[in-house]
Amino acid sequence: MTEIIIKLKNLNWLFIFLVSFLSFVGLVMIYSATFGEESKIFISHIYKVTFGFILMILVSLIDVEFWKKNAYLFYFIGIVLLLWVTFYGYLGKGARRWINFYGLNFQPSEIMKIFLIISLAKFFDEKKFQESRDYFFLILPILIVTIPFLLVLIQPDLGTAMLILFVSIVIFFVSGINWKFFALSGLLSLIVTPYLWGGLKEYQKQRILTLFNPENDPLGSGYHIIQSQIAIGSGGTFGKGWTKGTQSHLDFLPEKHTDFIFSMLGEEFGFLGTLSVIGLICLITYITYHITSSFIHNNFNRIVGYGIITNFFFASLINMSMVIGILPIVGLPLPLVSYGGSSMLTYFIGFGITLSLDRGSNYL
Amino acid sequence: MSREVNFEKKIKRRALILGLSKTFFTFLVFGKLFYLQILQKSKYGKLSDTNRIKLKIVYPERGIIFDLYDKPIASNRIDYQLSIFKDKKNLVYDYVKKLRGHINFSEMDLELIKDNSNEQDLSDFITIKRNLSWNELEFFEFMKNKFPFLIITKEKVRNYENDLIFSHVLGYVGFKKNVTKKKLSNLKVGIAGIEKKLDSKLLGKDGWIKFETDSKGAVKKELNKKYAVPGGNIKTNLISEIQNKASEEMRGIRGAVVMINCQNGGVNCLYSSPSFNNNEFSDGVSLKKWNKLLADEFNPLLNRCIAGLYSPGSTYKLVTALHAIENQKFNKNKKFLCSGHVSFGNRKFHCWKKEGHGYVNLHEAIEKSCDCYFYNLAKTLKIDDLAKFSNLFSYGQRTGIDIPNELKGIMPDRKWKIKNRNEKWQKGETLNTVIGQGFMLSTPLQITLMTARIATGKKIIPTIITNKKEFENLNISNENLEFIKSSMFSVVNSSTGTAFNSKLPGNYKMAGKTGTSQVRRISLEEREDGVIKNEELNYKLRDHSIFTCFAPFDKPKYSLSVIAEHMGSGSKVAAPIAKRIMELALNKY
Repeated sequence: MTEIIIKLKNLNWLFIFLVSFLSFVGLVMIYSATFGEESKIFISHIYKVTFGFILMILVSLIDVEFWKKNAYLFYFIGIVLLLWVTFYGYLGKGARRWINFYGLNFQPSEIMKIFLIISLAKFFDEKKFQESRDYFFLILPILIVTIPFLLVLIQPDLGTAMLILFVSIVIFFVSGINWKFFALSGLLSLIVTPYLWGGLKEYQKQRILTLFNPENDPLGSGYHIIQSQIAIGSGGTFGKGWTKGTQSHLDFLPEKHTDFIFSMLGEEFGFLGTLSVIGLICLITYITYHITSSFIHNNFNRIVGYGIITNFFFASLINMSMVIGILPIVGLPLPLVSYGGSSMLTYFIGFGITLSLDRGSNYL
Repeated sequence: MSREVNFEKKIKRRALILGLSKTFFTFLVFGKLFYLQILQKSKYGKLSDTNRIKLKIVYPERGIIFDLYDKPIASNRIDYQLSIFKDKKNLVYDYVKKLRGHINFSEMDLELIKDNSNEQDLSDFITIKRNLSWNELEFFEFMKNKFPFLIITKEKVRNYENDLIFSHVLGYVGFKKNVTKKKLSNLKVGIAGIEKKLDSKLLGKDGWIKFETDSKGAVKKELNKKYAVPGGNIKTNLISEIQNKASEEMRGIRGAVVMINCQNGGVNCLYSSPSFNNNEFSDGVSLKKWNKLLADEFNPLLNRCIAGLYSPGSTYKLVTALHAIENQKFNKNKKFLCSGHVSFGNRKFHCWKKEGHGYVNLHEAIEKSCDCYFYNLAKTLKIDDLAKFSNLFSYGQRTGIDIPNELKGIMPDRKWKIKNRNEKWQKGETLNTVIGQGFMLSTPLQITLMTARIATGKKIIPTIITNKKEFENLNISNENLEFIKSSMFSVVNSSTGTAFNSKLPGNYKMAGKTGTSQVRRISLEEREDGVIKNEELNYKLRDHSIFTCFAPFDKPKYSLSVIAEHMGSGSKVAAPIAKRIMELALNKY
């Protein structure tokens, strides 16, 4: 018992505060998004945030060794869940992404990202750097990445699949894999891309194409980007005020409580609001860097730290880039802010692991 | 060991690269946000407003038109209209289908929808149905939620207190035609009559309502509005009761009744029969109905008072007589023998009285309307002088009444003949002209104005809109005017006068002149066989009955003319009608 208290005492409470603050922003925005409509979503979000927070603290109490030891087991469970969802998954919005678990919808692709990160970390930790010149040993980690990537891609969930791929590349990168490997795989992907493009669904192709010229088709696929930009732009410096966003409340903005919540934030809280959220995300990222960079000769901890924060950081900025028209709309929620259980719980678990890394770190 | 150190360095470097790329990414997002929210704020702010704010034009209420005694004769009624959100106009026929059975969409309404949906105007709404009944309103109020893109608005539309009696003088309102770019597609403007003449005053200024709508176009709430400014009210000289009386008297008779106030030129009555329903016109008359009215042989759309052309007949003798004594030093006591006809050149000119009037002087000639006397008088007259003198009484000229489309008629002279007939003036034609026949054509208003000017000796100008003016003198000697007036007095009050039957009862004395406007020329053979009685003639060939008068005799107040088409001689139909109208006017006003 005292052990737990000591552990709690040693937690990085600043980090916990920042993470909680970001979820609080989410609560505020979801309240506004569902304002005047059904309050069910807001109530459900409160439960999820509370549950996520507790989960984060619980996970933070688990020592990192636990994850290292059981990484492949979790990975295996994750793959089984993904396979399950592929065949028996609950269908929604044209995709098979969810498992119905006692009335709760659960999206295994989210938690798979964590399992993938710890598995890759375990692999690169055990294989010593000397071998990094030998490309054959990379076949296994490539398989570790490819299997979940493809399973998620065929759901289809382009956003999560791309994020899995991206986070994996970053992990390969920070593991110290030779530049030539990246050059080679870059070349390879150039060859493969046309085939991948052919495999995309029509609506996914459209989403990517409209990015280049949203005004071409204002009521078609470009409509969402335009309306989102109008929402953000019309917010100006200070915003239209909480629950006062016209774009969002008059339904010009699609999916305002999930993927486009950042647009609503921009509309209601203006440039100051969006800047604050970016600042918060950067601060969380910076602290994680600070923690992670303190590990010397501990590849596992390092890779887990970079992996988790990269997942969080890029998910956040890709979501923002989507809604402001820098990247195509691929369907990614804004971590901790958007409504959506699986994604939020995954980020809380990730931060729980980060906290536990922090406990074991020896930086001052 | 150094390899391990190198590896650590490599890892640190890569972490740094990762961190830097994240920073770069952050700045990219930051930059775009700065661009959207700071630099382009006004652009996106406007776009977000265009998204949600929809404009509905509120049409102004037209000014009210009053009669002389402040009784409204043209006002406005409330009209509930159904409009659809313009972006959703493709739904309109679907909606019409669904609403049918509960809301009556007539052919006119469908025409309106078709016209309006192609309209490019300021409004974000299209009117699809006007004149909703209470039942329809109630139904819609109940079913509103099923039609989120429809709104009901309350408009004020023109309403005339009486369907028929003021139609010609007031005119009506309607849509501007053949205007390519309309700002306000549903704005009705004056098309005829006073409505047209004083349109700019009556029109008012439009306002708007801004609605907030959601992305589907459903109206959420009213944001703000600018009230429409109603048009200015107008007071006219018309007297409802007189106008009404005229319409009653003229029931079943085609013709015109014009009454002018001799003191200020105010037009108290301007009634043309048959009339049309100007309320129907203002609500928008269908093409079918319009064509039917155009094809109507009785031409109800013609305002006979100002655009109906008639030979003034014997009423014109007043001007001839006045010209002779005023300008030709003609001795009014001179007597001519009327044997029933006068020979001139190789033609015979007939008096209306076949057996003749015997010896008559000018006074008697007017009183009995002897044609022969005037034929003889005409022999010494020059048509150009007569024409010039007649201009003083507005013959051949527009009177300047303040409603559009007035005709000036014809006051023939030598120039006119050459120009229009390419022939020289024949002296015999002067004989026809002096009794108001031949080429001469005039409007009932001109005849009334002649009487008013004779009665006052002033150059009265008729006005419908109140404006008292001093009128200049005609510069005709009082003595001569009194002589003509006294002759007119005898027409009505002497037992031998042509309009003795129409003498006013009581104290008021009326003076007047009958006239018969020939529609056909009586041939020589017919004369010899005996002129066919009017009653036996084909209706269309019968003479017009004319009577013009003023009263009271000592202090002329009203000048009145009645023209009854194809009703025979002036004394028979027009004079009694005039008498009854004048009686009412004198007793009540």
